[in-house]
Amino acid sequence: MFKVLLTIALVLLSCAIIMNIYRLIIGPSSADRIQALDTIGINLIAGIAIFSVILETYAYIDLILLIGILSFVGTIALSRFIERGVVIDKKR
Amino acid sequence: MNNLVVLPIVIPLLTGMLLILFKQYIQLQRTASFLALVGTTLVHCLLLFEIKQSGVQAVQMGSWPAPFGITLATDMFSALLLLTSNVVALICLLFAFHSLSAEIEETYFYSLFLFLITGVNGSFITGDLFNLYVFFEVLLIASYVLVSIGGKKKQLREAMKYVVINVLSSSLFLFAIAYLYSITGTLNLAHLSVRVAQTGQDALITAVSLLLLIVLSIKAGLFLFFWLPGSYSAPPTVIAAVFAALLTKVGIYGIIRMFSLIFYHETHVTHLFIGILAALTMILGGLGASGYGDIKKILTYNVVIGAGFILAGLAAFSPEALNGSIFYLIHDMISKALVFLIGGIVIHLTGTTKLEDMSGLIRTHPALGWMFFITILALAGIPPLSGFIGKVLVTEGTFVSGYYWLGAIGLLASIMILYSLLKIFMNAFWGETILSVEEEKGTTKGLMLPVALLTTLTIVIGIFAQVLVPYVDLATYSLLNPEVYIEAVFSGNPIP
Amino acid sequence: MKWPRPNNMMLQVAIRFISLIIFAFSIYLFLAGHNNPGGGFIGGLMTASSLLVLYLAFDMKTIKDVIRLNFTVFIGIGLLFAVGTGIISMLFGYQFLKHFFDTFQLPIFGEVELTTALLFDLGVYLVVVGAALTIILNIAEDEK
Repeated sequence: MFKVLLTIALVLLSCAIIMNIYRLIIGPSSADRIQALDTIGINLIAGIAIFSVILETYAYIDLILLIGILSFVGTIALSRFIERGVVIDKKR
Repeated sequence: MNNLVVLPIVIPLLTGMLLILFKQYIQLQRTASFLALVGTTLVHCLLLFEIKQSGVQAVQMGSWPAPFGITLATDMFSALLLLTSNVVALICLLFAFHSLSAEIEETYFYSLFLFLITGVNGSFITGDLFNLYVFFEVLLIASYVLVSIGGKKKQLREAMKYVVINVLSSSLFLFAIAYLYSITGTLNLAHLSVRVAQTGQDALITAVSLLLLIVLSIKAGLFLFFWLPGSYSAPPTVIAAVFAALLTKVGIYGIIRMFSLIFYHETHVTHLFIGILAALTMILGGLGASGYGDIKKILTYNVVIGAGFILAGLAAFSPEALNGSIFYLIHDMISKALVFLIGGIVIHLTGTTKLEDMSGLIRTHPALGWMFFITILALAGIPPLSGFIGKVLVTEGTFVSGYYWLGAIGLLASIMILYSLLKIFMNAFWGETILSVEEEKGTTKGLMLPVALLTTLTIVIGIFAQVLVPYVDLATYSLLNPEVYIEAVFSGNPIP
Repeated sequence: MKWPRPNNMMLQVAIRFISLIIFAFSIYLFLAGHNNPGGGFIGGLMTASSLLVLYLAFDMKTIKDVIRLNFTVFIGIGLLFAVGTGIISMLFGYQFLKHFFDTFQLPIFGEVELTTALLFDLGVYLVVVGAALTIILNIAEDEK
């Protein structure tokens, strides 16, 4: 029963990622696209967590942190890009 | 176990990375890279004699036994290629000292050059398919930078195409490796050979081998050479010469190694396919070479013809033909570097690449003109120069194996080479002298020595080919008898 | 229309801690690489990103004044470490890249297994940090 629930959750997460990809491609403004990318990252984290419950392993825990950090850095960089036009300022 | 095998990779790699730390000291960079290449050349000589005496040399990295760890192994074939490629690289380096601007020299040129050599040496030495991929990447990444070094507009445009094509082919290479691993369960070349021989080369493995052929032929300029003329005409002369001499040859080495060590069971499919591709390559390359009126274009199409001719020998797959291929491979490395260097000097002197804008250089530069003439003869296969013996053996081999059409196209291609290069000679060197010494755009100071060295090398190899024969015979023997290589890699351990 | 300059105070305060956390995580990943997922490559990438968030939150000049390192040199030193480990085993007459390990009693950590492969990994780590930061900073410094 629990396995079935987890599988359903995985399927739903995949659907969410597909919808996000749609937004990523269509998304009228860059803000939409950045939002979509960030959400894909979060969905991936959730998916990996469910996966490690299914497989009953701790091996993927590092991966969750890793994807979290990478999507955090990516989101900051992209949002700075739409805010300032450059990713890294020359000087304040 | 013989740690000598590791040195050709380690010496240039170590020197290259040390030179990264000393960016400003150009004189130091020159000396160090020169010494490094002299060192590797000496190591290759030692390896050559060691292999002659005691057979294929193999070393297991980190002492993990054969199919589990990474194997480095050199047989005679790769040792010959290693020696030739490093001698050519050494001479090109001499040319680089006098032809490059200080700006290029300071942008890590020598480090990149040594990394390129690392990749080339590594691809020749490695005994593991995935490692072959890795060393391909090492040399490709160095070459990406070398293509665009200097940052002219044309270079950047060509570099973009070059990078895209090579990234695409590298990803296909990974697919092929993954397929092969899922079928056979191993990536060690010797072990692959054993496994394929055990299960038989069925349709699936043949299909994967053809995928591998496509990948390697993009790198070797066999039939899929559409990217080659553009990218090889963009960078500075010496870099183009090294690319023409070494990079395509690494792809050719890969094809010959794969289709003699592993996929040699279905020759009527794979080797016939290689033969057809080689024939098409020679025809298309010949048409390109004789059609263009631009020195760089003509020379790059000549590279393509050379690749087709060498692989015609593999297609025939008989001892004579492979002997011829190896001879021609050695000759081709030297003479392609030579012809690119001379072409570069001509462009340097006249300031143009168009043939109709130049004339009569032989009056002001007689030595250059006659050396170019000797090169033409060598490339066309006139005795007693280095191209002759390779051409004869390959043609004989194709005839003996029944591929008459292939041999005929090979001979036709020789005529096209002769025509295209004579066109350069007649236009650039013969005729009215329109440029006096004062009007020239550059000097040949310091550039003649490397050219003369390479010319001497073509003549010497042609005349003393007899000395090379036992080595080349040994190389062909180990290509045609995979068990020699397998035996050396496993060195008596049980094969799982 | 010119936007008023946004204030990044929140980000800048938070990043100071986050950067340290990411750095600690990168060291963990680097050391975990011996028997678990992790190692020099991913550890190096994490260290690079921990430095990168600083550049993102502040600006080029401030961080250049604080971290006075030439990251290009890292590549050279790292490669030296990686190949050096291989060569040292060669000098003692073993095969290239042969590695040795032993367990030691260290003051705080207790019993620790140390290997020469760790030195190789350190080389990889330095190369990755150097290469990643060199690429990113070069692109960022590019004039329009």
